[in-house]
Amino acid sequence: MASAVKKRRMGLQERKEARQGFIFVSPWVIGFLVFTAVPLLFSLYASFTNYDITSRQDWIGTRNYTNMFFHDPLFWKSLHNTLYYVVFSVPLTTLGSLLLAVMLNQKIPGMKVFRTVFYLPSILSGVALYILWQMLLTPGSGLINVMIGWFGVDGPAWLVDPVWTKPAIILMKLWSVGGGMLLYLASLQNVPEQLYEASEIDGAGPIRRFWHITVPMITPVLLFELITHLIGGFQIFQEGYVMSNDMNAPGSPVNSLLFFNLHMFLKAFKVYDMGYAMAMAWFLFVVVIVLTVANMLLSKYWVHYEGGDNR
Amino acid sequence: MSTRAAASDGRYFQSRKTKQRVGKTILLLVLVGISLLLLLPLWWMIATSLKSLTEIMTYPPTWIPKAIHWENYELAWSKGHFTRYTLNTLLLAGIGVVSHILANTFIAYGFAKIKFPGRNFLFSLMLATMMIPSFVTLIPQYIMFSKFHWVGTYLPLTVPGFFGAAYQIFLIRQFFMSIPNELIEAGKIDGASHYYIWWKIMIPLAKPAVVVIAIMTFQGAWNDFLGPLIYINKESMFNLQIGLQSFKGQETTQWHYLMAGSLMAMLPVVALFFFFQRYFIEGMNISSGTKG
Amino acid sequence: MKTNKALSVSLATLLGASVLLSACGSNNNNGGDDNAAAANDSAQPAEASTKKVTIDFWTFWGSETRRPIIEKIIDDFNKSQDRITVKHTYYPFGDIWTKELAAVAAGNPPDVIVNDINTTAQRADKNQNTNLTEYLKKDDVKGRFFPQLWDTVIYKDEAYALPFTTDTRMMFYNKDHFKEAGLDPEKFPTTWAELEEAAAKLDKKSGDKYTRIGYSPQYAGFDWGSIAMNFDKGLNFFGPDGKPVINDKAHVDAMNYVLANAKRIGQKNLDNFKASFGSKQANPFIAGQVSIWPDATTFYTQLRDYGQNVNYGVAPIPEAEEGSGHYSVGGGFVVEIPKGAKHPDEAWEFMKYLTDKSAQTYWAEKNFDSVANQEAANDPELLKNPVYQAAVDNMKVTKLFPFPVNAPDFLNLINPNRDAAILGQVPPQEALDKAQKDVENLLQQNAK
Repeated sequence: MASAVKKRRMGLQERKEARQGFIFVSPWVIGFLVFTAVPLLFSLYASFTNYDITSRQDWIGTRNYTNMFFHDPLFWKSLHNTLYYVVFSVPLTTLGSLLLAVMLNQKIPGMKVFRTVFYLPSILSGVALYILWQMLLTPGSGLINVMIGWFGVDGPAWLVDPVWTKPAIILMKLWSVGGGMLLYLASLQNVPEQLYEASEIDGAGPIRRFWHITVPMITPVLLFELITHLIGGFQIFQEGYVMSNDMNAPGSPVNSLLFFNLHMFLKAFKVYDMGYAMAMAWFLFVVVIVLTVANMLLSKYWVHYEGGDNR
Repeated sequence: MSTRAAASDGRYFQSRKTKQRVGKTILLLVLVGISLLLLLPLWWMIATSLKSLTEIMTYPPTWIPKAIHWENYELAWSKGHFTRYTLNTLLLAGIGVVSHILANTFIAYGFAKIKFPGRNFLFSLMLATMMIPSFVTLIPQYIMFSKFHWVGTYLPLTVPGFFGAAYQIFLIRQFFMSIPNELIEAGKIDGASHYYIWWKIMIPLAKPAVVVIAIMTFQGAWNDFLGPLIYINKESMFNLQIGLQSFKGQETTQWHYLMAGSLMAMLPVVALFFFFQRYFIEGMNISSGTKG
Repeated sequence: MKTNKALSVSLATLLGASVLLSACGSNNNNGGDDNAAAANDSAQPAEASTKKVTIDFWTFWGSETRRPIIEKIIDDFNKSQDRITVKHTYYPFGDIWTKELAAVAAGNPPDVIVNDINTTAQRADKNQNTNLTEYLKKDDVKGRFFPQLWDTVIYKDEAYALPFTTDTRMMFYNKDHFKEAGLDPEKFPTTWAELEEAAAKLDKKSGDKYTRIGYSPQYAGFDWGSIAMNFDKGLNFFGPDGKPVINDKAHVDAMNYVLANAKRIGQKNLDNFKASFGSKQANPFIAGQVSIWPDATTFYTQLRDYGQNVNYGVAPIPEAEEGSGHYSVGGGFVVEIPKGAKHPDEAWEFMKYLTDKSAQTYWAEKNFDSVANQEAANDPELLKNPVYQAAVDNMKVTKLFPFPVNAPDFLNLINPNRDAAILGQVPPQEALDKAQKDVENLLQQNAK
């Protein structure tokens, strides 16, 4: 009892420190309360209604949720598509951008130009990018299958064959890993050079040095990339729309590109079933939060903060 | 040190040097190869931007334009009202960069280096906000800004930046966490306030990360489309991305202008990256990183 | 604490600067866009009498071909009277309606907007557009429009929009290819069976690769969904009682027709072919890679501009059997008053002007669109163009299919089953039975 009271009572210095902490995070707290909290809570409420934005908002209990789980075949299909994408694209892009950064962190003539070239694809956005990839992925004459053909293999039909549509999208995403490379490059600067020198004297080879020095030192950014890629991966949406085989059937062929958020978007803005879309959003919200919390908890075991706090 | 040992040392370094040179040559070849793969699509954009629409419509597509139409760039610039839209976009990007650097390093400092009750809870809450798809809050947020009478101004696009963006706070926090606490303790003993430590110690130390978020913010504002589209009600206040969309017609698209415009719009971001990369690569030493 | 103060001052300054700058931006009326309406707006400042009204008009016509045409019409309207000034704002296609939705929800929509014809009733059901009954009592303009277009703007027996443009699908065919294959270039096949026969003669191969495909029923211009409608004599996916009839025998027959063609050419060849033109830059018909091409009649403008060397003809869609009907599908756009618009009365005046003969004739002349106003569509000057004449004639067999209010997204359930059948994963009957079941299930869920 006595110790609990003691614990609760902070020292003057601690209280001052805590107040400072609140001041520093207060802009975010205010921003959250003003710009995010209200829309967020509203969407939670709306998920229990038949809200359609412009004509009604009646309480319907958990019907949106039961519809979602038991009556909407596209819900499960879209969840499956998104999970497929996340499972393959998150590790691949995380690894890809790390490798790229390590390669580009060397002293070689013209490196500045190389870095810029590798960064270029991630700047490109919008229509131009999608058109480009539709051309590259053309089964017969597209550049990618032509190149696969050099190895004597018949390339797949990519965006036409429902089995290959998602790999095609992942390939396209890999093309622009240069954006993630940026962070790794920055964090590689934090690796003290002495560490390398010391290990070189110990006779450690480049691969061992990479695993035992480079990787541990950049784990904070690795964690960041992993979590943000995970979140970003779950939100994939536009690619399913614009890369679909039949422009009038988003997610085609055979709904193989109907991602979770695309299904949600179509429900919200094409048929105005906003209540249902909000229910879907909250379902995904909970799934991603669980995954992120798990990630943060596990990070204790592998993320190393040079600052001292290992949380 | 005996002479024998020195001799073997010399041989060791020599073989190491050759190894390094071979390694570097291989790396160079790999880099050139990948660069070509990355640049090929870009070349296609450039080629398209220089063709006439008639040539773009021919099949099979040509990789090298038969006749070069430089005027496409000039026409895309004037038809897309690029002068006005570039200024607008620059304004938005400039405010964005300043607000994001200030707010996000400030907030991240609180999350990374000051202990206070509820910190972990707030931080988790902040991470959670990243998971909300933007179109879930689109309508409620629009209604809210409409009640503030902000619709039709740049306020909905600029003011929220001063209150932090979760993604960047998280990023900067990760960098701050890597900066030794002793520095802060030392600063405190010298009588420095947290504000001083944040501004004079942390920001300079995390410069690579600060430059990264500056580039990211600039690029984000430069490529923003939905935000300006939803909140701006006057064509004179549109930004570049909306301007580019006008080349996309209901039935036919003016590909030459679209590509020329996209390339021109891309240039500032490329230049920014090219010239600022030294800020997050600087201090680099030959032996840092691993050898390919 | 000095830094603290300096910081808050600088933050406040920045915030203030951004407020100021955006305020400047919003005061600036005509900058980059040399928009006639905007110029007009600033030319007549606020001193105008209180009766004067400026209304907002949103379109997606921002291209260098369409913009001057709509702005000329607006300008004419503004000059035709001195009370109402129309201010035109362009927003990109598609996104314009996301913006409108947010604006309607927040209560600050434009006064007139252009929207999709087939979803008018859906918007009426959702309270997004304005009931026009009162206005129609005053000015009965119903007679102006093609009857099937008027039907699309009706929700529960009341009108919610005025049709503006429409389109109709026909068969474009390459006469030189016909001659080359020994077919009569002046006589296009009348039935689907005859079409398939002719198509086989038009194919061209080098080795086992197709260099030309006569015809495929898988082009988006008139694919299985439309062919199914043609086969069932213009009924499509819902019966007269509103019940879904997706697995109707005629629809299965249409699928079998599609599959027979795919079997002959090889689905893989077709996919390669479709994908080569997937980026929509080159058109296979203009490139001479396809002999018969179904498309909206506005495709004429592309042929005119980029296909000068193509010797083409245009013909109605074939029919299932002799005399069953050359049914085609159409779409188009309407003008309407979003719910909550500030000046609905003035908006109505402008909408009347937009759909009146002179504006519609001008639009048709300049854009080659099929317009909704019958009198304008039959303008003798316009009819001199054979493609235009054919398009107007084709309106008689053109059907429009507004999305059912109780299942507006039913196509999302049909399309994957269609894909599965075409890919040979599921037999046609089974695929359509599944689609039927899915749509019934959707209707059941929505009825709750």
